[in-house]
Amino acid sequence: MRSVTPRTARSLCAAAVAAGVAITGAACGGSSSSSGAATSKNAAATGTLNVWIRGSGDSPKAYQKIFDAFTAQTGIKVTIGKATLTDFETALTAAASAHQLPDMVLDDAAQMGNFVSQGIVLPIDKSKFTGADQLTDQAWSSATDLKGKVDAVPFSAQANVLLVRKDWLDKLGLQPPKTWADLAKVAQAFTTQDPDGDGKPDTYGLAVPGSTSRGYTSWFWSTFLYSAGGDFLKPADGKFTATLNSPQAVSSAQFLEDQVCKNKDVQPSALGDDTTATNKAFQTGVAGMYLTGPYAYATMDATAVKGKYIVVAPPAGPDGTAGTLAEGTDIFTMADSKQDEVTKLEEFMVTPAAQKLGMTAVPSATVVRLPVNKTVDPAEVHGDDPRWQLAQQVYSTSGHYEYDNAPNWTQLRQKMSDDLNKLLSSCGAVQGALSSMNSDVSTLLKQQGVG
Amino acid sequence: MTTETTPTPVAADSVLSGRHRPGGPAVKPFRRRLGPWLYLAPLLLFIGVFKVWPTVWGVYLSFFHVRPYLGNEYVGTANYAKLFSDPDLRSAVVHTLFDAVFAVSGSIFVGFWLAVLLQGPARHVRILRTAVFLPTVIAMVAAAELWTTLLYPSPYGSVNSLLGKAGIGPEPFFNSPHSALASVILMQIWKNAPYDMVIFVAGLASIDREMYEACQLDGATRWQRLRFVTLPSLRPITTIVLVLGIIRGLRVFTEIWVSTNGGPAGSSESVVTFLYRQFSQNNDTGYAAAIGTALLVVTMVLTCLMLLWRRRKDI
Repeated sequence: MRSVTPRTARSLCAAAVAAGVAITGAACGGSSSSSGAATSKNAAATGTLNVWIRGSGDSPKAYQKIFDAFTAQTGIKVTIGKATLTDFETALTAAASAHQLPDMVLDDAAQMGNFVSQGIVLPIDKSKFTGADQLTDQAWSSATDLKGKVDAVPFSAQANVLLVRKDWLDKLGLQPPKTWADLAKVAQAFTTQDPDGDGKPDTYGLAVPGSTSRGYTSWFWSTFLYSAGGDFLKPADGKFTATLNSPQAVSSAQFLEDQVCKNKDVQPSALGDDTTATNKAFQTGVAGMYLTGPYAYATMDATAVKGKYIVVAPPAGPDGTAGTLAEGTDIFTMADSKQDEVTKLEEFMVTPAAQKLGMTAVPSATVVRLPVNKTVDPAEVHGDDPRWQLAQQVYSTSGHYEYDNAPNWTQLRQKMSDDLNKLLSSCGAVQGALSSMNSDVSTLLKQQGVG
Repeated sequence: MTTETTPTPVAADSVLSGRHRPGGPAVKPFRRRLGPWLYLAPLLLFIGVFKVWPTVWGVYLSFFHVRPYLGNEYVGTANYAKLFSDPDLRSAVVHTLFDAVFAVSGSIFVGFWLAVLLQGPARHVRILRTAVFLPTVIAMVAAAELWTTLLYPSPYGSVNSLLGKAGIGPEPFFNSPHSALASVILMQIWKNAPYDMVIFVAGLASIDREMYEACQLDGATRWQRLRFVTLPSLRPITTIVLVLGIIRGLRVFTEIWVSTNGGPAGSSESVVTFLYRQFSQNNDTGYAAAIGTALLVVTMVLTCLMLLWRRRKDI
């Protein structure tokens, strides 16, 4: 061991303290920077549009097909500057601080409030947007804030459906679940009656992505919350009120807790599993039912579970309400972008031709899950696949979007996930847990200036 | 045209000490002092750019509400006020201390016994030592993947099926708030104990053989030799490994992030996973910077105390 002389020790510590003081002084002395509003530069009508995409694998290829068609039609070149799933928003934040934002971004609709509060996106003028009337109202409203400002162009939509192992149902002589009671019954049977016939109690009813990572716990719960007739928030007069202590919210959390704690019919690692792990649980025959988006068709069909499952609408709640989580991909016009060209590209991307390209150009990457354009029939485009027909029907009749237009929805969703995960892993009292979740969310809404 | 004088070679020790060697050539002291710094410059620049500057910038940001595009808003000590009243952070601190103390002392304990069992120059022992050392060189992410598979909470998980044969379990391991942190600690001990073993093997080899011989002459048992010779001789090295390990343990991140992600129910959240969540999921860069700064200060204070203590004890 290197010996430390008194001098070294003392001088090291002194230097550390001095550095600390100097830094603190510098920070306190630093004035707040002025807040510049987002602007656009319509200056040069030439140049290539730089687009960033949250997506990986074959998704960029599918987008490229759409961009190629756009370039062929307008002569405006488009390049994909970045396409990744990992830390996409972090990279965007870095680009924002360097004032080197791309022209356009394609990301989950859930990021909208985050982008708006960072001031990095430009609003959309719906009245001047060619083809605005061809888009569904449901899709537009998901991109509209409480004051009616439109902050993004919807590009793709989806709603959660229930995937069920048909071979397991047949073996046990069961019908696909239509209500929560059916769901609990089938889940229990899948757990206890050895549907895979290997003589071991190694199967479970529901595949649950219950990890708090990316807010999955709350994301999964939302379909139950909606089908109980409940909701996360209630918007009024430009503000939001948390409604998580409603009897509907309590009954939906109670149902989920019963499956996890009482019936124990979810996969054992549920509360730590993200969607990748949960996909695996369904694909490998650990769990027999999975509530997820229609993008899972391609994922599941690439594995051994292909052809062994059917797709049904999410089971109705206790009073017969049908409700499911709706989500989407949005197109964001970035601050400092070549706005006129970006608008042209946006208008092109929601045309029937481009939407069809997004659904079929690259079969392994359906970047348009459900079209936002009313004139496109997804089942027809997908070769009359009834699974897509169902997804479309579930989306338009019972799809509920989360509050992507809150200033920071991801923060709220994260908090709810933490609280719900805590409840499910402690198997505690639901009423009390949801009351405290409600007050946690109220506090955050106030901090975000909309409570 | 000017004539250039070739500098006379200077002895390395005189360059480093910056002192004139009596009777040495008369070169300007400044140039002589500059020499070592020039050699060090690339490294210093590297450390400056990638270590010092980000640290300084992080401390600076902790006084702001960070908005990368619109410009940062000065908020004074608001981020620090939040830090002291945040119950989630408080529980993360408790988990971190718990993890640091138990993971480090656990791996020292296991490492010590491995060293006692596997010391010596014989070839088969060397092969065994290499095998035992393997976990240390496995990437943490791969190790965590391995352990989540081994500790799968169903009765058919590898470890649970063994426990089942003994009539125990199935244990939830990573998936229960009661056992997640303990499981992470177990994984860290498995990973770090072999490293400590290597340190102890070196420590054991440096113990004077004559002491053992003297013991033997006095009729000491194996246990007495361990108790009165080995352990006292290893005390300084153990203390330093322990204290440095705990200080380093305050920054635990990868182990937790890749195995439990801080869950379930935040039961294995550490200070740094909490910090990262504030930054990456809640977009609260200023608050994350404040937590990072507080952690920096704590680490610096502990390191200073450690240095002073070593001076006192003259280790």
